[in-house]
Amino acid sequence: MVAFLARSLASLAVTFVMVMTLVFVAMEALPGDAAMLRSGIDASAAATDAARRELGLDAPVIVRYAQWWGDLVRGDLGDSFRERRPVTTILVERLPVTGALALAAFSLSVVLGLGLGFLAGMTPGSRFDRGVLGYTTIGLALPEFWFGFVLLLVFAIAWPVLPLIGLPDGGGAGAWLRHLTLPAITLAIPRAAQLARLTRATVLEHRQADWVRTVRAKGGPVSLEFRHVAANASPGLFAPIALEAGGLLTGTIVVEQVFGLPGVGAMLIGAIGARDVPVVQGATVLAVLVYVAMNLLADVALAAGDPRAREA
Amino acid sequence: MTVSRVRSPSSQRHRRRPPSRLQWGLALATLVLFFTIVGPWLVPHDPLEPDYRALYAAPSLTHLLGTDGLGRDVLARTLAGGRVSLVIALTATCLTALLGTLAGLVAAQLGGRWDAALVRVFDALLAFPGFLLVLLVVAALGGGTVQTILALGVAGTPLYFRLVRGFARTARDLDHVQAARAIGAGPLRTSLRHVLPTFLGPLTVQLATTAAGFLLVEASLSYLGLGVSLPTPTWGNVLQDARALLMRQWWAALGPGLALGMATLSLQLIADGIRDALDPKRHGTW
Repeated sequence: MVAFLARSLASLAVTFVMVMTLVFVAMEALPGDAAMLRSGIDASAAATDAARRELGLDAPVIVRYAQWWGDLVRGDLGDSFRERRPVTTILVERLPVTGALALAAFSLSVVLGLGLGFLAGMTPGSRFDRGVLGYTTIGLALPEFWFGFVLLLVFAIAWPVLPLIGLPDGGGAGAWLRHLTLPAITLAIPRAAQLARLTRATVLEHRQADWVRTVRAKGGPVSLEFRHVAANASPGLFAPIALEAGGLLTGTIVVEQVFGLPGVGAMLIGAIGARDVPVVQGATVLAVLVYVAMNLLADVALAAGDPRAREA
Repeated sequence: MTVSRVRSPSSQRHRRRPPSRLQWGLALATLVLFFTIVGPWLVPHDPLEPDYRALYAAPSLTHLLGTDGLGRDVLARTLAGGRVSLVIALTATCLTALLGTLAGLVAAQLGGRWDAALVRVFDALLAFPGFLLVLLVVAALGGGTVQTILALGVAGTPLYFRLVRGFARTARDLDHVQAARAIGAGPLRTSLRHVLPTFLGPLTVQLATTAAGFLLVEASLSYLGLGVSLPTPTWGNVLQDARALLMRQWWAALGPGLALGMATLSLQLIADGIRDALDPKRHGTW
């Protein structure tokens, strides 16, 4: 297990360096001249040049790349062009909204996805099974924001039990929860559907295994059959679940827009529109870090649950 | 007479079998294609032409799905938007499959250092959540039809690279591939004539899945205002307009949503149907 962990971390480190280099290249490719933005659009050429020197943008690419790594390692993501304050500060302000939303949506989709998929897989062909099929079909065929529209219409407009958009000013956890309910459900609809499909397929496969047939043949209780299937089916579901968790930070982008939530996703979209490269980079680094970390977690969880995975 | 009596039970049983998922998918796809190709000529309104006498109109005989805030016919915009959305999704799918397949075949064929380098690069791309990659490319290139196609095409490539490289490495050791190499077939001929056909089936399944996914991503991109620029209608753009009108006229989101849903569903059914056909053991799996 130690050797496995060491190998995973080493491979992760290489991937990390590659990914961050790609981020640097992407940021170089983004349109928008930082010096021009800093000095103002109608500044003189001399003033723009001064700003360029001040920002260190006149240095060769390779020097800037090295400096960029130095800043990154020290946790310095630069200053926002628009707001003129550290990107890390802005991220820290925005993260609670996105984090809470992602966490709520993740919990909801895992509970729903695993539950529906498991029960459907244990009762193939039943009315319940067909119901879950109907849900997953619709859930995967439409964009998530469309479900957001429907939820808004039903629970905020036609029957106004939940708030329409935005976040409460202050207010306790209860108010936050009310405001995040619809966005979290919106995010969970396609994700739970995806997970339910996978879970059902895995459960179906393991239900036909010899040891499960033996339990059934010996007249063991249904709960024992459930346990046998669950124990063998779950390691295969770790990776999709972790991938899901890793992708949620980017998944919230669209939903934050639908429900007017001031999270990291809304910040990223605003920054892309305003050509605010440091902010785009900050959000990208954060999203990639979470995604890569979750992938590592998936590998470790799989290795812990299935000894065969440690070999590869 | 006797012959027909003998035959009829079996043919009847055959006829009673419900249509397969592939058939459902193809039927739905035909419907969607028919309406997006022919539809804009059937609707007497221009998707870009505002009708200032009929702003926010409810569905009526003149405007079957009503009009939006600029008085543009929602049905006409949905049908015209389908053309753009479908062209983007299908072209991007071809692009991503082409790039990924080529890279995968090359990596498997060359092996060694080249293979390792390609794997590293694509692994790094895979470390980006897919949607973020699309967003970054669009941010770098700007919005528009071609830019959206390029963004989707780049974002999908790592997946195809992985898939094709895996299949191609397995195929290397197959008898007929070794035989081809033994009689002097070059790397190009071996890859395209002998390796590629061994996994065309699973590749087709992936193509349909990707096209469905791209339709949804394009809609999200347009919804965020980063896809095809207004006023060109795409399903995402039409839905974005509908979001602004949600409180006044909920039906504006219904038509485009339904059209988009039918298109993605048809592609997903086709993917599942081909998978069923390729693997006869897959019964009772959906």
